[in-house]
Amino acid sequence: MGLLHRHRGLTPYLLLAPGLIFLLAFFVVPLGFLAYQSLESGNQATLTYSFTWAWSNYGNALRDYKGHFIRSFEYAGIATALALILSYPLAYWIAFRGGRWKNLLLLFIIAPFFVTYLIRTLAWETILSDNGIVVRTLRDIHVLGANGRLLATSTAVVAGITYNYLPFMALPLYVSLEQIDHSLIEAAQDLYASKWKAFLRVTLPLSLPGVVAGTLLTFIPAAGDFINAQLLGSTKQHMIGNVIQSKFLELTDYPAAAAMSFILMAIILVLVFIYARAVGTEKLTG
Amino acid sequence: MNAVAQPLTARKRVDVVGFLRYHLLTAYSLLMFVYLLLPIGVVILFSFNNPSGRFNYTWQGFTLKYWQNWNSVPGLWGAMKLSLEIALIASLVATALGTLIALALVRYGFRGRGSTNLLIFLPLSTPEIVLGASLLTLFLNVTFVQLGFWTILIAHVMFCISFAVVTVKARLVGFDRHIEEAAMDLGANEWTTFQKVTLPLIAPAILAALLLCFAISVDDFVVTYLNAGSETTFPLFVWGAARVGAPPQVNVFGTAIFVVAVTAMLGSVLYQRRREVRA
Amino acid sequence: MTDHLSRRELLRRAAAGGTVLTLPGLLAACGGATKSAAGTGSSSKQLAKTLEFSNWTLYIDVKGQKHPSLDQFQKKTGVKVDYKEDINDNASFFGKIQGPLSRGQSINRDIIVMTDNSRYPSLLIKKGWVEKLDKSAIPNIKNLLPVQRHPSWDPDRDYSLPWQSGMTGIAYNDKLTDPVLSIPRLLEDKKLKGKITVLSEMADSLALVMLANGDDPAHVTNATFNRAINRLQKAVDNGQIRQFTGNDYSGPLAKGDLKAAMSWSGDIVQLQSSNKHLHWNLPADGGDIWTDNMLIPQGGNVFTASTYMNFVYDPKIAAEIEAYVNYISPVLGAKQVLLKTDPAIAKNTLIFPTKKMLDNVHVIDPAALSNPKYLTTWQNLVGA
Repeated sequence: MGLLHRHRGLTPYLLLAPGLIFLLAFFVVPLGFLAYQSLESGNQATLTYSFTWAWSNYGNALRDYKGHFIRSFEYAGIATALALILSYPLAYWIAFRGGRWKNLLLLFIIAPFFVTYLIRTLAWETILSDNGIVVRTLRDIHVLGANGRLLATSTAVVAGITYNYLPFMALPLYVSLEQIDHSLIEAAQDLYASKWKAFLRVTLPLSLPGVVAGTLLTFIPAAGDFINAQLLGSTKQHMIGNVIQSKFLELTDYPAAAAMSFILMAIILVLVFIYARAVGTEKLTG
Repeated sequence: MNAVAQPLTARKRVDVVGFLRYHLLTAYSLLMFVYLLLPIGVVILFSFNNPSGRFNYTWQGFTLKYWQNWNSVPGLWGAMKLSLEIALIASLVATALGTLIALALVRYGFRGRGSTNLLIFLPLSTPEIVLGASLLTLFLNVTFVQLGFWTILIAHVMFCISFAVVTVKARLVGFDRHIEEAAMDLGANEWTTFQKVTLPLIAPAILAALLLCFAISVDDFVVTYLNAGSETTFPLFVWGAARVGAPPQVNVFGTAIFVVAVTAMLGSVLYQRRREVRA
Repeated sequence: MTDHLSRRELLRRAAAGGTVLTLPGLLAACGGATKSAAGTGSSSKQLAKTLEFSNWTLYIDVKGQKHPSLDQFQKKTGVKVDYKEDINDNASFFGKIQGPLSRGQSINRDIIVMTDNSRYPSLLIKKGWVEKLDKSAIPNIKNLLPVQRHPSWDPDRDYSLPWQSGMTGIAYNDKLTDPVLSIPRLLEDKKLKGKITVLSEMADSLALVMLANGDDPAHVTNATFNRAINRLQKAVDNGQIRQFTGNDYSGPLAKGDLKAAMSWSGDIVQLQSSNKHLHWNLPADGGDIWTDNMLIPQGGNVFTASTYMNFVYDPKIAAEIEAYVNYISPVLGAKQVLLKTDPAIAKNTLIFPTKKMLDNVHVIDPAALSNPKYLTTWQNLVGA
């Protein structure tokens, strides 16, 4: 397990204490309220709810919004795969070739976040506008039909999610790529006489913890995202995040929103568990 | 930098291919940066726009006046300042707490390890609207808490911890413990080893976690909206302004922050270089 | 609102809030009552030192960093206005304030502004989360436009006073299409397919489609509701409707991604100044009118808030505000003032609609807005 493991069992608890207490107080307790709320029922028009062990909230949520759940995981999955494919070479380049500019390059990766989600998305609305250069080019090369558009389609939504979560994939990837001992790679290249093989046999496996971390940090929040679907999609692209949002705000149906959130969390945890098994838990938990 | 010994049988032709392949990665990465920074480019561009109405959507002419009158939108600078303050503090606290948790998770076996891992993933998977609303419920039930700076800060630290943990863990998992063992064999105690060996080696991960938390915090909308009381952060301000037409000063601010951050980073890189040269 | 919590009050709040009956909830409710910042009973006739005013963005006169009308108010009464532009969506704002309000706590505001094309103003009144106006402090209430005096959700204007109104109609881009003047055209003309948007606000869209169906939006029945929904569903299914939007139609409209959009009058006034090709009209079968209303949330200082309301109902002040905001002023006499100081605005029919226009706008049945089945069906139509 670990070389420092021989120490008294108190050390891990001391290390965990500050963060865990914080999370317990400010996440678990609120989650408790949420759980309580998910079992309430009542009148959403007058906002009178009472606790009635209303498990039907869960059943109804699954029954009525199955399509949204599935679509959310689809979009999040595609976006995560795309983010991985796009970010890996970039993270590799920064880690191996960045030199002293590494930190500056990392800054460029998160730079889009300085201008807020809304402005970024509005900027993409401008870039992907029907009369903009991107769409016109795609029409000219017949990727899009003559009246084709990018906005208000699932392409735009997935592209938006991918773009907005790229840093969540790129930074963890960079973290694990950066620590790889270059002498290992050199040795591998001497042995295999091929850079590519050295990459496949040495670099890639050593970077798996980063891949796992990035995948989780991207997929999990992306599944609950709502804003890309709202601004870049049409009705047919709405995700479960949009439903929960509207249940809470427009319909003031707090029990339904709460129940749906727990279902989302549960499904995500199951998926994460399966994923952890597939990659081998050591990469996940060390 | 990448002087790797090529097998002696390599022919000149392979060198050309190697050259292309080598720079292909660079070209790709530069393209990716263009992609990443494209919206920023649009934002910067439109900060020089001269819209005649309130909506800044179509290009209508170049002007410097919004740069000259950068502070003429009431509340904008205050909102930006608040966002930066909170992001700075939240990312520091979250990264510190997260690093400790990551160390514990990766290096120790203890009871409750599995549940702790689970607990770390839960905030990531909770939709923001209910995360914010249930946190608000907590704050409202604790009467001495006033909604405002502290509640926003607590909220941000809360959802950033998980990101910090996962990011630092990615580094710790592959960490070669033998270096620490060697240091201790040479006479260093636990704390010195941690300080002089472990910490520098995981520093890139800590920095990455800091950057990630900072970005998430400065950008957060939903949770902040519900828990901010009367305070306004930059995303809240923008959301409100965009409804009726965000003034170009919003673009000016976005651009300015970006430029300041880049300059600061650039400065630290050049400073490091000078230190190395002198040493 | 008095400081101590009577048993009756506690029970009423418990019924309203649910969580009050837990121990922390009880503590909170008790703490909340004493916490009500500037809260005073309506019997107090003293002006507070500050007025906390929450409003929508860019909804008041602005000059550089200041709001002239607010400065004038301060000069006249000595009350400083802490003006916050933190409302930009009824549902979100309500979602934010319902927490404290349901626990009997004050939200540290004396005036908030919410739209009557959502159910929140009437919900706030029903739940007792707003205070009654002190009409003795508002003699200028006589300047309220007659058509605004008796809304069905607040028949005697006991709790609310309009701030601005707006109309819902159809905007189109004359460079991309010939005039789109009716809802049937908007929803069914194949030439507009995928290039139009409809409002996600149920009240507005429903009213306009019902009018196009020949039904009366002031009395919604299941049959008329379903007719409207079906018509919209068809347009969603065949791709006619590109998106349901809030006022984020502005960008695509300005950029030419949309040929036409169901939209609000005030936005178009602003868009027109940068794009002369945009036009706005009430639909042929009728449009609707909505009003943003000033309300005093529980715990707010009634007398000070009422004094402010009286101030903005002075036609001179209303004209000042109107010159900047460009929605529809509810104050009689503002137009006359503007005819002398800024005739262009006074003559703009989107800001001062003609009688013909006002006859052609309707208000939706508030009961329909509070019907959970209708609301859920609507949200499912809109995608979520």
